[in-house]
Amino acid sequence: MAQDAFETEALSYIDPLYRTALRMTRSEADAEDLVQETYIRALRFREQFAAGTNMKAWLFRILTNTFINAYRKRSRTPETTELDDVDEFSLYRRMSTERAASSSPDPEREFLDGIVSSEVTDALEDLPEKFRTTVLLDVEGFSYKEIAEMLGIPIGTVMSRLHRGRKFLQQRLYDLARERGIAAVRTAPRTE
Amino acid sequence: MDCDDCLDKLYTFLDKELAPTERTAVAQHLSDCGDCEDNFGFEERFLEVLRDCGTADIAPRELRERVAERLRRTPPPPTL
Repeated sequence: MAQDAFETEALSYIDPLYRTALRMTRSEADAEDLVQETYIRALRFREQFAAGTNMKAWLFRILTNTFINAYRKRSRTPETTELDDVDEFSLYRRMSTERAASSSPDPEREFLDGIVSSEVTDALEDLPEKFRTTVLLDVEGFSYKEIAEMLGIPIGTVMSRLHRGRKFLQQRLYDLARERGIAAVRTAPRTE
Repeated sequence: MDCDDCLDKLYTFLDKELAPTERTAVAQHLSDCGDCEDNFGFEERFLEVLRDCGTADIAPRELRERVAERLRRTPPPPTL
């Protein structure tokens, strides 16, 4: 691959790499370091990149592995949570049961429309690392197979991490909405 | 396909990871079952909310310049 073409294409992914790094590291300074390290490694191993294959996936694989190696070295106690307590949570069901008491004509829509970006990022930052990494790669549009290859895990594990990660986020956003007191999840006073 | 079978495939359907025959079976159930259709619609919009979050975050200019400079001055590997 010609030098110019490699440079141009590699640089075109800096925004998605940076925003993913920001969610992974939860710090602007660490995200910058992580992105810079990703490009240094990409250049060091660039002969391993086969022209015509998916450069975005290749760069994200480097980003993810660099993050995971640094993260696991830093964290003293390995995360053990499997989030199995949220497995069965369904926000849709929860809202359906509250619909009768809600003062909103369309609580589901009001809930989704009321979510602000900062709440999603806060909820994402609360997700345990292995679930967060998987959800972030999905958000960037990678397939189950690509995510499995990047993380070195079976496709079934990608599916269960996405399922539980999404359920955890729904529960967290629902709790935030309740705190915010939006009408969609504010039950009407009982009339007895 | 009943509602439980359909819900088991909720995310694989929305993620477009189902085999064509299973995809057709889920789509058929959704066209027959308003509750599952609403549930899938809700989850689909929720995934859009997740995808849209953070798209406004872009790499700081200094970082972009540092990376561009490094890409420019690193010579390509020798060709054999």
